[in-house]
Amino acid sequence: MSKYLDILKFESFHCINSPYKIISILLYAISILYGCQTGYDLFKKHNIEIKSIKSKNADFEKKMLVQYDELEQGLIEKPRRDPTIPYWAIWNTPSYALKSPSPMIVFSTGQVEQYGYYKKVTNWSTVFDNDLAEEIANPERLALGTLDFSFVLLFLTPILLIILLFNIGGLEKDNGFDKLIYLNDISKKSWLITRFSYYFLVLFTLICFLLIPYAVLSGVFTNELMSFFTLMLLIFLYIFLWVSIFYFINYWGKGSVDQAIKMISVWVALSIIMPGLFHQITSIKFSTNYMVDYLDVARDQRYEIFDMSTDTLQNELLESFPALKSSVYAQDTIINKGIINRSVSGLVNILNKKAAGKIEKESELKNNFVRSTLLLNPIMYFQNKINEVSEADYYAYKLYRENIQNSIDKKIELILRDTWNKEEVDKERYIEYLKEFKIKITGNI
Amino acid sequence: MMISIILNEWKILVRNRSIVYVSLVFMLSIISVVWMGNLQSKNQSQAQIAAEKHIRAQWDNLEPMNPHRAAHYGVYVFKPISILNSLDDGVSSITGNVLKLEGHVQNEIVHSEASQSIAISRFGKLKPSTIMQYMVPLFLIFLSFGSISNDKETGRLKLIALQGVSLEKLILSKSLSIWLYGLILLIFSILLQFLLGSSSADFGIRIGFILISYGLYYFIVVCLSTYISASFKNNTSAISLLLATWIMWTIFLPKIWGNTVEKVHPLPSRQNFISQMKEDRSKGIDGHNPTDERRSKLKEEYLARYNVDSLSQLPINFDGIVMQADEEYGNQVWDKHFGNNYLIYQKQKRLYQLSGLLNPFSSLQNLSMGFCGSDMIHHLDFLKKAELYRRYLIKTLNDKHAHGGSKTGEWRWTVDNTFFRSVKTFKYQTMKIKDQIENYYIDILSLIVWVLFSGFLIRYKIKRDIII
Repeated sequence: MSKYLDILKFESFHCINSPYKIISILLYAISILYGCQTGYDLFKKHNIEIKSIKSKNADFEKKMLVQYDELEQGLIEKPRRDPTIPYWAIWNTPSYALKSPSPMIVFSTGQVEQYGYYKKVTNWSTVFDNDLAEEIANPERLALGTLDFSFVLLFLTPILLIILLFNIGGLEKDNGFDKLIYLNDISKKSWLITRFSYYFLVLFTLICFLLIPYAVLSGVFTNELMSFFTLMLLIFLYIFLWVSIFYFINYWGKGSVDQAIKMISVWVALSIIMPGLFHQITSIKFSTNYMVDYLDVARDQRYEIFDMSTDTLQNELLESFPALKSSVYAQDTIINKGIINRSVSGLVNILNKKAAGKIEKESELKNNFVRSTLLLNPIMYFQNKINEVSEADYYAYKLYRENIQNSIDKKIELILRDTWNKEEVDKERYIEYLKEFKIKITGNI
Repeated sequence: MMISIILNEWKILVRNRSIVYVSLVFMLSIISVVWMGNLQSKNQSQAQIAAEKHIRAQWDNLEPMNPHRAAHYGVYVFKPISILNSLDDGVSSITGNVLKLEGHVQNEIVHSEASQSIAISRFGKLKPSTIMQYMVPLFLIFLSFGSISNDKETGRLKLIALQGVSLEKLILSKSLSIWLYGLILLIFSILLQFLLGSSSADFGIRIGFILISYGLYYFIVVCLSTYISASFKNNTSAISLLLATWIMWTIFLPKIWGNTVEKVHPLPSRQNFISQMKEDRSKGIDGHNPTDERRSKLKEEYLARYNVDSLSQLPINFDGIVMQADEEYGNQVWDKHFGNNYLIYQKQKRLYQLSGLLNPFSSLQNLSMGFCGSDMIHHLDFLKKAELYRRYLIKTLNDKHAHGGSKTGEWRWTVDNTFFRSVKTFKYQTMKIKDQIENYYIDILSLIVWVLFSGFLIRYKIKRDIII
């Protein structure tokens, strides 16, 4: 045992006395801090925007409540968009769907910058609306990618390991005394593993040590403890993967230069070539979706509905929403064009949902294909796992889209229910609407 | 003398089986990557054309419709793939692909490829540019290092120098021979691209610029590699520094600098941007609100112009006039706010380009994207042209509404699809690169400065005592 402790002790002397290694470790630590800070800035930015939306909503709610008071007291005339009509009252009920950032995005911004994270929901909304565009950003910067912690971990960690490990066993071979070492009652395997373990432990401890302050700062320990532990496990496994690859390179290596060249070549292959290759193959197999199905609904099919006669629309509505059959209006014998026109969004929503379902299905096929390649694309496997625990992946935003759709459905349900029952909206009912549409937040609050 | 050294170096290169095999692997990789790049571009282009045709057919076959309703119906434009997308797709997979052009609002381009799946890569698709930017330079570094370190270790370098050959010329010749090797790989890749690409003059000029840019970058990489290899006594230190430089240039600095420029010249948040535009827009005419003050002024103006007392007496449809006035005000608001954003983008780009003085890789990346037509400048050009088309489309519709024969308030008045078919289709023409070259001066200049600097190092800074 003491033999191994001696090796560890001498390895630490060797490391401390190597300025290259110390500078590299320092640069790496700075990169981690920079990466975490980038993530933390994004986390704060999203939270500030969300807070500002909430505050604007609260102001609007107050304004609407005052309007109801003034209408009830006869101080003002009904405006063009009469708030006593359920349709306009619901239209004027602020209902934002928000995707609150997980504190874990401090460690991986993932695909966050590819999606919008707030949306005003109306009965005409869809989950692919233009206002769901991502935050304004320089596309070249987005193409370059963000230097967040996950980038540092996935791409710079192996590089640091190359710097730390390339001359382990290599230096001895360069100077021709490697055979001497194995005469000292230790196998080549044990000797290398012990020396590699030293760097493995140093690196893992360094990462843990640097992540903890940001985890505290963003509230990870109070809100996302399990996700943090999962991240730690992923970090452990990832470093282990690279250390293992480099161990084999050094075990069969011919010297420092040979080992360095092999290590960097493996890094290029696994970090740039393999992901790029699978990305290209995926793009060939699944061309960019121009969303034609959705556009057809958003324009052509929607207008076909608008062109239908009022009685056809009424029949369509009764067929699509059977609950309306027991409404007050359904008992009338005279067709009310106003009621039907205010209900049309219900029919459009059904088409939108169908189109969205088809698009999500196509994306799922693409994702399944990508997943099937991850065995040969380990870095992106880890990237996607980290994005998943940070709620910064495609699926986190799919869930957000589902929540948007639920809000749209709720709006339509209320419009149909209260319009067809010929309800008049007063302040009390408006407050009920407000409660129904209390901001829908996906993710952590 | 230099030519014979170069020829000799080439003989050594050709005799080395590993290098022959690696070269064959490179050639095969380039062929397959070019083929894949073209296949992907073809597929995407076909999908884009099909979407375009489908949407245009809907427009051409519109039922008789009020022109203003048609303005709300709108048209969709699809971002075409860039002229050399198969070589370097730049920002294409990050930016949106679908843009709705309609009345009253200027929408954002949405539905990027990157938002349609889980993460697949962080350095983009494997395009010829990936091989030419990452792999070839790395291989040139290894070759340069190997060439000098072998000669140092075997004492060959000392022997040649003692025979009276100028050490600077020797190192330069070695550099040139390796650079020529890189150039052959480059020409091979570009030639394949050229054979599969278009035959337009612009395409040829772009290809030419790409060849020069990569050629200059390879020269820098090779000269610096041979210089560093020759300047260090210890081979391990030399290869460490070379790899560290490569990592700093290709991985570290572009990201750090890219993030920094956004902090130096920040863009507004979408929420602020939209609310400011909304606020400015609200000062204009609300096309749908008859009680609006500005609408009343416009009304007075038209009543006076036609010398009538009421809108119903006007020989034209005043609603169309109001809509167009609203559009024109909206256009000014768009110009102000989007113009401001574009200005910030431009400042960010300039600042990023300046990093080329520290990192020639950034200059190469900028030039590669730019000459392939897939950088931000080309993307913004597409958006500007789409907005110009939107203005043409909406004005055509509003003019028809105003002067097509209907009277004010006749919202049920319709025009048939003969009119809709007469509306021109949006056809995006990529900018001519010769008109845009000034956008890339900093990058070109940076590469030239680096070429001169690396040449200078070899000519004047080789330390004889280290080698001999």
